[in-house]
Amino acid sequence: MSLYNVLFTSLPVIAMGVFDQDVSARFCLKYPMLYQEGPQNLLFRWSRLLGWMLHGVGSAVIIFFLTIASLKHQAFRKDGEVIDLSILGATAYTCVVWAVNMQMAITVNYFTLIQHICIWSGIFLWYLFLIIYGAITPSFSTTFFMVFSEALGGAPAYWVVTLLVAVAALIPYFTLAVVKTWFFPDYHNKIQWLQHAAKHADPEEELGVVLRQFSVRSTGVGVSARRDAKLVRTNSKVIHADSSSQSQATVELT
Amino acid sequence: HSCPMVLRIAELTSFGAGASASTHQPNSKFTQQELPACKPILTPKWVISVFLLVGVIFVPIGVASLLASNKVVEIVDRYDDACVPSNVTNKLAYIQNSTISKTCRRTLKVPKDMKQPIFVYYQLNNFYQNHRRYVKSRNDQQLRDASKANETTLCDPEKTRDGMAIVPCGLIAWSTFNDTYTFQHNTNNLSIDKTDISWKSDRDHKFGSDVFPKNFQKGPLIGGKTLNESIPLSEQEDLIVWMRTAALPTFRKLYGRIYVDLKENDTITVTLDNNYNTYSFDGKKSLVLSTSTWLGGKNDFLGLAYLTVGGLCFFLAFAFTLLYLIKPRKLGDNNYLSWNRNSAGH
Repeated sequence: MSLYNVLFTSLPVIAMGVFDQDVSARFCLKYPMLYQEGPQNLLFRWSRLLGWMLHGVGSAVIIFFLTIASLKHQAFRKDGEVIDLSILGATAYTCVVWAVNMQMAITVNYFTLIQHICIWSGIFLWYLFLIIYGAITPSFSTTFFMVFSEALGGAPAYWVVTLLVAVAALIPYFTLAVVKTWFFPDYHNKIQWLQHAAKHADPEEELGVVLRQFSVRSTGVGVSARRDAKLVRTNSKVIHADSSSQSQATVELT
Repeated sequence: HSCPMVLRIAELTSFGAGASASTHQPNSKFTQQELPACKPILTPKWVISVFLLVGVIFVPIGVASLLASNKVVEIVDRYDDACVPSNVTNKLAYIQNSTISKTCRRTLKVPKDMKQPIFVYYQLNNFYQNHRRYVKSRNDQQLRDASKANETTLCDPEKTRDGMAIVPCGLIAWSTFNDTYTFQHNTNNLSIDKTDISWKSDRDHKFGSDVFPKNFQKGPLIGGKTLNESIPLSEQEDLIVWMRTAALPTFRKLYGRIYVDLKENDTITVTLDNNYNTYSFDGKKSLVLSTSTWLGGKNDFLGLAYLTVGGLCFFLAFAFTLLYLIKPRKLGDNNYLSWNRNSAGH
């Protein structure tokens, strides 16, 4: 089962890695200050990585406990059937597949047709897998035999729980993403707002002036900083050499 | 920043493609990463409407779920402590002594009108059917196929007895619940329908109609129910229900259905056989009578969770609206760049 986990959630991630663009190529060339996000180590800081890990753990906790609390010992269908290990497992798995794919949909900045295909087909393939795997003889599918077609598919509680858990797992991330892009935007976030605003007005001129002024700012890190520092050192040596030779010359003259 | 590098890689691949095969389009939209796309952005309008939409969808579902849960009438009666006579000090010895009669009478009062079908469950607490070794302790081939009767792998310690294989082998089958209940409604006998209590797929595909119990519960330690050796496994529904291992330590399993309406304040007298040993591990046994709705049994949590999430979304929508109106930062404003706020500027 863990092998299929890779299959269902890896495709949107790969699609995101290959096709996502947070800022279009044209704006990249226009605002070279975007390059600073590399040397400033803004995208791969430890705090950011740990934040994502914490988000993963938090989502898993939400999904696990919400699913268990929603499907306890009482019946989950009109005909009085109760849950068992495979039913609970399949429900939790469904919630995970939905939450991960919707997470992709929220995170992606550049929604091409390929992203759409990857995300929606990821979800569709999970249900297809449940049906097909469940139809294989139980000597192979064991506890998952007909778990969707017989038990879960016709149970309104299953769909109700899936909706609740998937949305509940995404609300924390969505809220934090909004707070971040509104109040603590990164440079590429601001360029995204520019791209968005540029469609309605033409603020490029005036903002462009401000931003270009900004891009001439001196920095403390990176190749250009080291080059500037070296220049300052050699310049000062030259000045001192000059002044010492000049003073020597004046001494000699007098 | 990755943007210029991606452009370069795209150019390189496109040139390579162009060189190797003249049928490839060297500068297609795909390789130049210029596919038509929408660039969603978290504008205030979007964010607030998303939260409002989630709230508007969730609150009615929560209300509907709570209404359904309130309609369910449930009678839960714990009997494992009350059904042991008060003069017994060693409960474990009492329950394991097969010579003592374990019959017990309980009286239940119906709190509200219950419409048929009424489901009868037995509920166990602190019983971990999801224990890893327990779940594996069965042999599905043996259960399904009469010719595979001697397949007992994984069934330790209930594999063979006196050199012969046990059918059905394993701890799950060995520990089948064996309390029985008979009901009387206001002095009339109430019949329980014990057919169709298991999943149809189990009866048809997992338990063979030509597999008969053999050599079962013949050892010194009897863990639960003894099976009638002339009834095939596919018709032993109590066994099939029990072998569908529960997910959590507190679980119910369907015992039967009652197709009689019960009125408020009716008295139900239960005559039960308190056979099953839950005393050695502090387990609890309860008898449950319950009606059902489209959502199943009594489940307040689902409705409350929906209302909580819906309410939270309304609150967030409200909060973000306030923030947007009270502190309208120009969203492209330079001064709020994260590294610009600490540095001295240019």
